Amino acid sequence: MTVQNDGSRRKFMGLAGKAGLTTFAAQAVGVNLGLVDVVSAQTGKRPVTPFRFAIISDPHLYSFNDHVFDRQLEDAVAQVNALATQPDFVLCTGDVSHHGEADQLAKGKRIFSKLKAPLRVIPGEHDWYLDMGVEYRKNFGEETWSFDQKGVHFIGLNSILTPDFWTEAKLTPQQRRDWFMPLASPVPGVWGVHQKQLDWLKKDVANLHPETPVVIFTHSPLWDYYPRWNFQVSDSKEIRDILGKFVNVMAFHGHVHHTVYNRIGNLTSIGTMSTSWPWPYPPVELPYPEFQQYRADPSNTADGMGSAVVSVDRNGGGFVNYQPFADSLQPAIRNGFKV
Amino acid sequence: MNPHNKLFRRLALPLATACMLAVVGTAFAREPFTAAELQMKDDKLMESVKRGHDIWYGGRADTSTNGLACANCHPDAAASNPQTFPKFLPQFNRVVTYREMVNWCIENPQAGKALDVASVDMTALEAYSFKLHRGKPIEPGLNTRQTTGIAVQSGVGFRTKPTGIGFDK
Repeated sequence: MTVQNDGSRRKFMGLAGKAGLTTFAAQAVGVNLGLVDVVSAQTGKRPVTPFRFAIISDPHLYSFNDHVFDRQLEDAVAQVNALATQPDFVLCTGDVSHHGEADQLAKGKRIFSKLKAPLRVIPGEHDWYLDMGVEYRKNFGEETWSFDQKGVHFIGLNSILTPDFWTEAKLTPQQRRDWFMPLASPVPGVWGVHQKQLDWLKKDVANLHPETPVVIFTHSPLWDYYPRWNFQVSDSKEIRDILGKFVNVMAFHGHVHHTVYNRIGNLTSIGTMSTSWPWPYPPVELPYPEFQQYRADPSNTADGMGSAVVSVDRNGGGFVNYQPFADSLQPAIRNGFKV
Repeated sequence: MNPHNKLFRRLALPLATACMLAVVGTAFAREPFTAAELQMKDDKLMESVKRGHDIWYGGRADTSTNGLACANCHPDAAASNPQTFPKFLPQFNRVVTYREMVNWCIENPQAGKALDVASVDMTALEAYSFKLHRGKPIEPGLNTRQTTGIAVQSGVGFRTKPTGIGFDK
């Protein structure tokens, strides 16, 4: 696993040192620098410069030429490129490909290359189990990462790991992959991030100040939504505990192919629309039903899919705007919502 | 004497006897089906349900030319809503049956070849979907914002019910 760091932590340390000196100097001469700056300098909270990031989820590209999902991913890329204020980066929450084939992942990279903003990706189960991430890494790099962006700490985890059910059964790579194709597959069982990534996560956030805004991306949700369809991460409780020291954690996920919202303690979980097809909602009573998207009209091929853009304010708070291809959103979330 | 009364007197005894026999017969007649017959019928239905499951998940190649299958949008047959048919659908501009809607999905999102509506495979798709909506009220014409199937109780390796973790707002 590698940690990608854009160097802003070093910049921050420099800034914090300067801020401390400046505060001291300001106090000495009786100058009011402004409450936020003083608090930042005194507490070690890093300053946030407002910015945006965008999310594109679950393209599920097939090997067919000119497949309908190619065009829908291109539509999402065009949506993001059309934003008047461009995002600092675009995050794909996994399942770039449907079968994990090399040509499908390469096609995804090719379509994503049309984005004006840089791309970050985490894997979905469809990307992974044909070759255990070999082609994925060739196209999109390491699957576990973190970086700092303008005072916000971003984390991406591989949340689709299952115990090894294929070696003893002598399954071929194709057979192993095929067991992940149905949403309610009876063989792989529930998936998660597993111990190695939990250890990595602990180290990654160990030195961060609790007031640092944290954004975490996983393929499936960090709560127990509907395990039968793997709408969960088996070790989400451990992840939530590790991130429990932070004032505010925003968690974004794909996999569910629909809008969904939940809040557990300090962690707000937000599910995103896919660019391929909408999953129906499972037979679960949701705590925030106003965040459900409308049932897609099958006769409208654009209905039920889209992308999202998140604006981060100077306090590290987020404002989420889903960007549906058609009229999919209830009034409560149509004009965006605060996180 | 009224001829009707005379007729009644002549028929009274046989009628009363017949009624008594019918009542006694009902009490002692065997059930409509034996346990073995019921098992056979259930087995036959489950054969069809399993056949339908396989086709639902892409088991019949001619129903798709783009790799998509029913299960892409309808895992566990969710949101297929067989209990809401017949109903009016704008893409047909008329009232249609569930089987017609299945064929619409095969021909449009899946770009495949429609099934014969009276075929074994179409019956199997219907059997699978209805099986996963058992107990749902039959509501022809229902148009809903969101609908789901039942919570499925099978599936090795998965917990079948949410634990409730996360619902602590």
